[in-house]
Amino acid sequence: MVKSLDDRIAGAVVIVILLLCGAVAVFPLLYVLSVSITPFSEVLKNGGFILIPRAVTFDAYNKLLTESNIPRAFGVTVIVTVVGTILNLAITGLMAYPLSRRQLPGRSLFLMMVVFTLLFSGGIIPTYLVVKSLGLLDSIWAMILPNLVWSFNVLIMKSFYESLPEELFESARMDGAGEFRILWQIVVPLSVPVTLTIGLFYAVGHWNEFFQAIMYVTDRTLFPLQVIVREILVQTQQPLENAENMTPTQTLQMASVIMASLPIIVIYPFLQKHFTKGMLLGSVKG
Amino acid sequence: MKTRKTLAAALAVLLLTVGLLAGCSPSGKSTNGEGASAPSNEGGSAPTGGTSGAVKLDIIETGNNLPTPDKDYIKEALDKALGTDLNLTVYASADDYKNQLNVRLASGNSPDLFQVPDRASLKQFAQQGLLLDLTPYMEQLQPVKSFIGDESLKKTTIDGKIYAIPKAPNIPYNTYWIRKDWLDKLGLQPPQTIDEFLNVVKAFAEKDPDGNGKKDTIGLTGSKLSTFSPIFGAFGVGDPNTFYVKDGKLVNSLYDPAMKDALAFIKKLNDTGAVDPEIMANTGLQHQEKAIKGQAGIVWIDWPNMSKDQFTEQIKKVNPNADWIQLAPPKGPGGQYDGPFDIGGTSGIYAIPKALEKNKDKLQKVLDLLNYVSGKEGSMLVQYGIAGKHYNLEGDKVVPTDLMAKEGGFTWLYQFTGRPEMSYLQTKFAPQAKYIEFANSQPRIQILNGFLTNPDGFNPADATRFIEENLVQFIYGKAPLDGYDNFLKTLETSMNFKTYMDDSMKQLQDLGYGK
Repeated sequence: MVKSLDDRIAGAVVIVILLLCGAVAVFPLLYVLSVSITPFSEVLKNGGFILIPRAVTFDAYNKLLTESNIPRAFGVTVIVTVVGTILNLAITGLMAYPLSRRQLPGRSLFLMMVVFTLLFSGGIIPTYLVVKSLGLLDSIWAMILPNLVWSFNVLIMKSFYESLPEELFESARMDGAGEFRILWQIVVPLSVPVTLTIGLFYAVGHWNEFFQAIMYVTDRTLFPLQVIVREILVQTQQPLENAENMTPTQTLQMASVIMASLPIIVIYPFLQKHFTKGMLLGSVKG
Repeated sequence: MKTRKTLAAALAVLLLTVGLLAGCSPSGKSTNGEGASAPSNEGGSAPTGGTSGAVKLDIIETGNNLPTPDKDYIKEALDKALGTDLNLTVYASADDYKNQLNVRLASGNSPDLFQVPDRASLKQFAQQGLLLDLTPYMEQLQPVKSFIGDESLKKTTIDGKIYAIPKAPNIPYNTYWIRKDWLDKLGLQPPQTIDEFLNVVKAFAEKDPDGNGKKDTIGLTGSKLSTFSPIFGAFGVGDPNTFYVKDGKLVNSLYDPAMKDALAFIKKLNDTGAVDPEIMANTGLQHQEKAIKGQAGIVWIDWPNMSKDQFTEQIKKVNPNADWIQLAPPKGPGGQYDGPFDIGGTSGIYAIPKALEKNKDKLQKVLDLLNYVSGKEGSMLVQYGIAGKHYNLEGDKVVPTDLMAKEGGFTWLYQFTGRPEMSYLQTKFAPQAKYIEFANSQPRIQILNGFLTNPDGFNPADATRFIEENLVQFIYGKAPLDGYDNFLKTLETSMNFKTYMDDSMKQLQDLGYGK
């Protein structure tokens, strides 16, 4: 096929623009990665700005893996993310499905209650009191249970379930399927895209969690990854409080950032195709 | 069918209601003032105090690099000596710490010992009745008292009552650091007067001291207005908005007649174009980076950030010729002072919650802990680690082992009452001893701000910003110095500064200053 000159120019322009956009997205990541594997003296010499590493060293990673709390925190975060996401999905699904059925009595009342929490929240202190009186302080559950259900995700899932054709349920009922059978054998398999999408939301949320950990957990062995990473990052932004404080080098900071974000970056592409589908269906039919 | 649906709906409503009520009940409880006795796992130690032996103590403060409890040999030793189970939690970010502290105090789940962020919070907490009045316990806290010195307790006294324990006094760390190799290269001597200082700053920026043929160096850098502390000092003035006694009278630096002269000289410095134009924008350790990079010839900074092994190693790698030396404060018309030193300041204040009054066992353990880390044995432990392992005693002299350097970076987190700063630092930082000595022996203007409590209706953040903004205009020539008196007037009328001044003067006079 022969393309006209106009087409080629248009194509080139589009490609250039997309490349620029891509570069803007990749640039900070590349910077962080490069600094993390460059010896610190090299970083300093170049004014802290390095895009292509001039010498490569994995000292920072080695140090983080052997001398810091990061490996342990990594474990905590993985547990919280996996257990949390599974529970999140189960509960959110179980909440969204009934709300999507028009025959549910008082449906609009329940919906209002869900939407209400989107707009208003109890605030930090009441939430802390709830967590405390439930005996969750200083346990891994304090990072999982308080955010078990995000109202917004319930609404997305509800919209998805509503998009399933009503005839499907009727025919299933005519064939003698009970409500649980319909849910388990028809609804769940059909809602893989939305489940994965919402699952990713929840997983990223858990992975990035640090506020709840700071509020509810005082046991250092239970600190998740982000708290430790934040500790490493915040240290250099404050004036020296004590002569013994070790100031982490920029290299070390960047390495900790990479270690904290890499797993999510790796998972993302695999879920992406479901992501578009789940999100779109949810939003358009809302 | 219909009834089943209604039943289901009723059940669901019931469940939701129960859920809502459950969420409300504890807050109701705490307003009744019995929140502290809420039965939950973290309070589990309260009833077990006498039975299981180890009393669990919750302590929170700001800090970092605390190892996990299994590697925390200080905790282990303290627990063994006191029969406690210490749970120390440190927060690297001051904001996170304040969040945690406020939530816990508000919800009746106070830690058993905690760091108070500043004197303003101390006053606020004390007025809210959250802190235990330690005055009746001072007899019991005799070891603490003799460790930190009676004078120190002034820092935490509010309305005649002692509400917290301040750490033992600090020593000053900051001085100007200057590139000796640059001086040599340009054939200059370390500046001794402010005029020589001005010349050197100018020469560093203009005469290409790094010899790369480019005009890419700056004379002086630092962080914010404190960059000029010794210059203020040379005029006998403290940093902006500091209180001190001058010629037997109590003054605030803003009202010191020499302030204008100091600002005029700083403007002269800035006019050379040789001062880092970003000083007001430098945050964290950016000025240190500029120095290490070889961009600046003089920097106002503390000795740890210039001379600790971690940094000297970097300096050597980046710029092998760099030879940083400390500079004595340049002389000026008002004398020679290396910036101010707050004799009311402290590097930490620790308070005990009022709720602990009802729990005598626990309270006793907290007092024991404070006494222990102030006593000979405990103090040695939290300073240097375990005898025979982290240090050896040769006579009275502490000789650190390699293990101390490797494992001892966090022990200061347990120094709740501080440490004898000079001997401590010289032991722990033996290679830096001369820098510590130098910084400590420079003359300083003794300021008293640490003793002050802000009066109601005065917002220190607003006032500080207003003062900074205006002073910056003066020193960069954006506003003529003739307007200085006007600035003071606006400050007094719009920022409630007059109230603050009167109140502060009275507070300091009550403490016996300026009489």
